[in-house]
Amino acid sequence: FAKKLQPHLLHFTSIMETSDGTGIPHSWNSHSISGMGIQATPNNTFFNPNCENLIDQRDLFESALSSIVSSPVNSNSGIIPIPIPGSGDSIVLRELIGRLGSICNSSDISPINGNNSATNSCYNTPLNSPPKLNLSITDHHQIPGNYPIPGNHPLPFHTDPGFAERAAKFSTFCNKKESFKTAGSQFMRIPEENKKLGDSNSNEEQPSVSETGMKGQNSNGRKRKVIPKGKGKEIQSNSTVKDDKVVAEAEKEESDAKRSKSTEPPKDYIHVRARRGQATDSHSLAERVRREKISERMKFLQDLVPGCNKVTGKAVMLDEIINYVQSLQRQVEFLSMKLATVNPRMDATMEALLSKDMFRPLVSVPNNVNPFDASVQPLPYGFQSQINGMVPDGPENQFSMNPLMAAMHRNSIMKPPHIDGFGEVI
Amino acid sequence: MSSSPQTTSTNSAYLTNQFAHRFVRALNNLNHTKTSSHGHNQISRRTSRVKIAAYTAMASVVGSRRAWSRAVLWKIRKRSRIRSLLLRMNRKRVDHKIFNCHHHSKVMSLKRRNPNPKRQYYFNPFRNSSQESKLRKLVPGAQTMDSWCLMGETADYIKCLAAQGNNRKEVQ
Repeated sequence: FAKKLQPHLLHFTSIMETSDGTGIPHSWNSHSISGMGIQATPNNTFFNPNCENLIDQRDLFESALSSIVSSPVNSNSGIIPIPIPGSGDSIVLRELIGRLGSICNSSDISPINGNNSATNSCYNTPLNSPPKLNLSITDHHQIPGNYPIPGNHPLPFHTDPGFAERAAKFSTFCNKKESFKTAGSQFMRIPEENKKLGDSNSNEEQPSVSETGMKGQNSNGRKRKVIPKGKGKEIQSNSTVKDDKVVAEAEKEESDAKRSKSTEPPKDYIHVRARRGQATDSHSLAERVRREKISERMKFLQDLVPGCNKVTGKAVMLDEIINYVQSLQRQVEFLSMKLATVNPRMDATMEALLSKDMFRPLVSVPNNVNPFDASVQPLPYGFQSQINGMVPDGPENQFSMNPLMAAMHRNSIMKPPHIDGFGEVI
Repeated sequence: MSSSPQTTSTNSAYLTNQFAHRFVRALNNLNHTKTSSHGHNQISRRTSRVKIAAYTAMASVVGSRRAWSRAVLWKIRKRSRIRSLLLRMNRKRVDHKIFNCHHHSKVMSLKRRNPNPKRQYYFNPFRNSSQESKLRKLVPGAQTMDSWCLMGETADYIKCLAAQGNNRKEVQ
């Protein structure tokens, strides 16, 4: 899903950006990120219950996107009527939103109507569900109060310390894109989208919504790769995951869209964290973990298989691996056949080999610094005689002791033993 | 998580040495237990023996740590057991009927518990690639594994095979 979504999102964003004016795309992006609900709905309160209900996610996003598509200019007003987007866009939208909804939605999904306005309307209906998150409600309630305040300003309605912290962080995030240190790779993309968030948005909601979006992201929280810790914890403590998920999902999808072309953020963490822009239900998480474990192993295999550095992609890599394993097995067969044809000298060869090879490990193991050429040196005399007199398949206890003695002997002497003796064996 | 999968096997140098050691030993064993060689079959027979020796050595170096080595060793031992049993039966020239009964009973007696019990073959519902199934056939003992374990086993198997190949070349 994520993969399908990304191209669509990207497409969508491209549509948006191409169709809109200069400042618009950013505002759109910010809109979409900051809070579909608010933009989508004429009601600020709309957003609050929206956040709480998973069902609303899709609608939120959809309506937000639809609104963005059609009337990006309304960002300044803060309230964006929900126009019907262009047909092509709507198709993309709907598909996108449908996918988003299916991804994000763990509860029942209200069917998306063909009409975005209709969706907005039905989007309204679930909003009346009792809010799950008190914090978000309070936040959002505060938002309308500060409605006309232009962006790039500290959110003055931080009655909630947590919210204040988040808002501050987010504002800094918005304003200085790269300064958002906690974002890491994930949020860095958001700044690109939210470039003008502070600028274009006179809507106080947006930063706050984005805030809540980020909050939502963080609250997904147990699974966030990079989280402003205080923010995440507070969110977690206060809110359910779901209400923020709405915004979070939207944001994530945006970031995913942006990220679809770029590499995925590296996952260095042992514990599972939902990446930004990804679905966060347990199933997809587990699958993602599984996929990444497998890809990690693939990378290791890539190192093993010679000449596979440039190969990317699991399928091609698997082909290479299969070929390599087959070639190795054929090589074993071929070499064994070769060895079999050399039969007549086998016994003597075996002895020599055995001695040589047994000598080598003992040399290498005790003195790891020993060069291997030294190991090829003939054995100490005593060992040699033993070999000569020894039946090949005889007691190998004896045999094993001798190399030890030989090694010890060698270690003590540290002098190349007689070469001629060894030649005799051969 | 470490960058590389479970580094249970020893480093390659030690591995190759151990392998060489055991390989030669196994070869010796095979050579000295061989019966009379039959003409044109000789080379192929010896080839198979050498090959078996190689795989045995490789697997025994790794021991029971990896599933593929267990599978290899088990297969070889089973094969040798049955082969010895058949040889014995042939030598005794038991009556045909009795041969079958005895054979069966002896086979049952010789049957040992498979270290990799073949549970139901791994059914991957997402098997969109036949490559994995190919890989499973190639790597011994990987029929019942999930993808992640399969990758790990493949990695280890490749490592050992490569080391073995190098070693064989040196031995040559």
